Amino acid sequence: MPISRRALAAAFAVCVALPLSACGSGGDGGGTADASGKVEGDITFQTWNLRANFKDYFEGVIADFEKKYPGTKVKWVDQPAEGYADKISADAAGGTLPDVVNVSPDLVAPLAKAGLALDLDKAAGKYKKEYLDGAWASHQVPGTQGTYAFPWYLNTGPLFYNKALFKEAGLDADQPPKTYDEVFDAALKMAKETDGKVATLANVPTIEDFGRYGVELMNKQGNGFSFNDAKGVELLTKYKELYDAKALDPQALTATPESSGKKFLTGAVAMNPGSALDLGNFKKQVPNLYKNIGITDQITSTGHVNMYVMGVMVNAQTKRTPAAVAFAHYVTDAEHQMSFAKQVAIFPSTAGSLDDPYFTKEDGTDETRVRVAAAKSLKNAVNYTPVLFSEQMKTELRNEVAKALQGKESPKEALDNAVKACDTLLQQQG
Amino acid sequence: MATPTVSRIRRQLPTSPWLFAAPGLLIIGAFILYPFLSTLVNAFTDRRTLIPGEFVGLANFRELLGDDMFWIGLRNSTLYVVGVVPALVILPLLLAMLVQKNIPGITFFRSAFYTPVVASIVVVGLIWVWLLDERGLVNSLLETIGVGRIGFLSDQWLLLLSAMAVTVWKGLGYYMIIYLAALANVPRELHEAAAVDGAGAIRRFVTVTVPAVRSTMVLVGALSSVAAFKVFSEVYLMAGPSGGPAGEDTTLVMLVQRTGTGLTGRVGYASAISVVVFVVTVALMLLVLRADRRDET
Repeated sequence: MPISRRALAAAFAVCVALPLSACGSGGDGGGTADASGKVEGDITFQTWNLRANFKDYFEGVIADFEKKYPGTKVKWVDQPAEGYADKISADAAGGTLPDVVNVSPDLVAPLAKAGLALDLDKAAGKYKKEYLDGAWASHQVPGTQGTYAFPWYLNTGPLFYNKALFKEAGLDADQPPKTYDEVFDAALKMAKETDGKVATLANVPTIEDFGRYGVELMNKQGNGFSFNDAKGVELLTKYKELYDAKALDPQALTATPESSGKKFLTGAVAMNPGSALDLGNFKKQVPNLYKNIGITDQITSTGHVNMYVMGVMVNAQTKRTPAAVAFAHYVTDAEHQMSFAKQVAIFPSTAGSLDDPYFTKEDGTDETRVRVAAAKSLKNAVNYTPVLFSEQMKTELRNEVAKALQGKESPKEALDNAVKACDTLLQQQG
Repeated sequence: MATPTVSRIRRQLPTSPWLFAAPGLLIIGAFILYPFLSTLVNAFTDRRTLIPGEFVGLANFRELLGDDMFWIGLRNSTLYVVGVVPALVILPLLLAMLVQKNIPGITFFRSAFYTPVVASIVVVGLIWVWLLDERGLVNSLLETIGVGRIGFLSDQWLLLLSAMAVTVWKGLGYYMIIYLAALANVPRELHEAAAVDGAGAIRRFVTVTVPAVRSTMVLVGALSSVAAFKVFSEVYLMAGPSGGPAGEDTTLVMLVQRTGTGLTGRVGYASAISVVVFVVTVALMLLVLRADRRDET
C-alpha cells in the first residue's frame, strides 16, 4: 500500500501539532490537599544524592514506616547532586514528580508557584510546632501564602584557616580574624608578605555574603532586590581592593565551591568556609593540613550566621496525600532527624533537638568542638539566600561582581545592573 | 506459477520498505523531529519550565538583539570556529601522513594519538584545568624557566584559547583516522611520478596529497565547524558554569543551557537561541559545501 500524500501531510500536521499542544494550559493532576484519610498506598520518595552513603539508614526508615502503616509501600529513588534541579524540572514538566521530594527552599519556590507543592500549613499545620520557627518559615514563598516543605536537616559551619600560612605571613595564628575588617586586613597582609602567591579568600561575594555583611537583600514587599545599597557597594569595594592586591585568588572569578575547597587543600588559599564534615576529609586526605588547621567562627556583621536548609516537599498532585504527608513528616520528625544527625555532620531542624547533649557537650576533639559551636550558632541562624533567588539570578550577580572586580564597572554600577537584571528575572517568574 | 509465499510477499511489497524503516523513523521522529519542531514552536512563545507559554511572535528574537550575553555568545562561538577549524583540518592531515608509514611500532603511535578521542571529555577537561591552574604543572614549568605564571584560567581570552587547544587536542585523533582512510586511496604512482619529476616533499604534499584528499578536507571542515560552533563541554569545564570571568567566555550553547534549564528556565527564549544556532550551523555547512563546489568547477 503506497503512502499517500494525504497521509504524509497528516503525519506532518501531527508532528507540528504535538509541540503546539504543549503551549496549552498545564494538566491538572487532580491531587487533594486533604491529608486526613487513611495512610495507605504506594508512594515514591526522592532524595538528593544520599544513597551512596546512607543506603542502610533510608532503607531502615522506609521499612519502619511500612511496618507502622501496613498497606503502604515506599519506593525510594535517589538522584545525583549534579543536575538535580534539572531532574526535578523535567519531572515537574512531565507530570512525573515523585510524591515526596527532597528539596531546598530555592527549588520549592517555583514548584509552589506552579501549584505543584502541597501547602503544609493547610495539610499538616498540626506538625508546625515540632520544628524550629525559622526552619518552618524557610519554605515559605513571597507572593504565596503557605509553607511548602517540611524542614529537614540544617547545616552551617565555621571558617577554616591554615595556621602555617598565617605564621609564614607574620599573622597571629592563634588570634584569627573575627570581623570583616580583620579578615580584609589579614588578607592584604598575607598577599603583601607572600608577594601575591597566597590568597586568603577564594570566592567572590555571593548573595549570602552580602546578607551576612548586613546588606538588605530584598525590599520590604519582597517584590524587588535591594542589595545595591551603600552597604552592598561598600562590601564590593573592599573585595575589589582584595582582588587588586591578589588577596582574593585571581581564579575566584570562575571558582566553584569545589575548586576553592581544593585550593584550600593545596595551600593556595589561607581561609575557606566549611562544615564539620570537612574536618574528616582534611584528616583523611591532607594530614599535613589537618595538623595546621585553625577553626574560627563564621564572619558576620549581623550577629546571625548563615545556614543551609533542606526540606521534604509533598507533591500537590499526589494521589496518596495522607501517605505522602505522613511519610514526609516521619522522615523529618525529631526522632529520625536526630538519628540521621548521628550518621553525618548535619543538624536537626526540630525544636529542642539542638539541646540534646550530642550537640552541647564537647569531648575535647575538634569534631565535637565544631559540632557544638555550629549547633549553638544555628539557634539564631538565618538562611540569607532569598527563596526567589534563582540560578539565573546568581549568575547575573556573579557576572556583575566580576566586572566590578576587573574594573570594567564601578561597584555601584555593577550592583545596580545586577539588581536590575534580577528584578527583571523576578518579574518574569511571575 | 508463483507459490503462495511469494505471492504474499508481492502483495505486501509496497508496505514492506516502510515496515523495515519504521523503527528508525519512529526513533528519528521521537528524538529528533519532535524535539526540533517543539523547539521551533517554543521559540515563538514565552514558555517557562513550569509555566505553559503564550504565543509572543518575534518577541524572543527581538530581545536577543538587545541581549549583550547573546552577542558575547555569538562572538565566542564564531571565534571558536575561526580558531579551531583550520587547526582541525590541517593538523590531523599532517599527523595522518606521519603515522601512515608502516614502520615498526607505528601502531602504538596511532593508538596514542587516538586515545584522547575515547577519553571522557569531563576527565580531559579536569586534567587540563589541573595542568593550566595558577599553581598547575604548566605554570610551575613556566616559573622555573623564568617566564612567570600565566593566568590561563583567569583571563577571558586565554581561557577561550585554552579551551580551543583542548578541543583541537581531543579531536586530532578522530580526524586523523578519517584522513588515514583517505590517504590510503591516494595512488602511490602519483607520488612516485612527482618525485621522478623532481618534486620535493612539500611540493608533493601541495600538488599530490592535498588535491587527492580535498573532499575529505571539506568533510572535516564541515564536521569540525558545526561541532566548534556548538561547543559546550570544554568551555563549561574550564571556564566554569558562569562562563568565565563575568561570563565573557559564554558560548551560544552554554547560554541555551543556562537560560533554558532549571525550574525557572526560560524555555521560549532558550529555544529562540537554539533556532539561531541551528540556522548558523546550517549556513556554515552550506558555505563549506558551496566553497567546495566552486573549487571543483
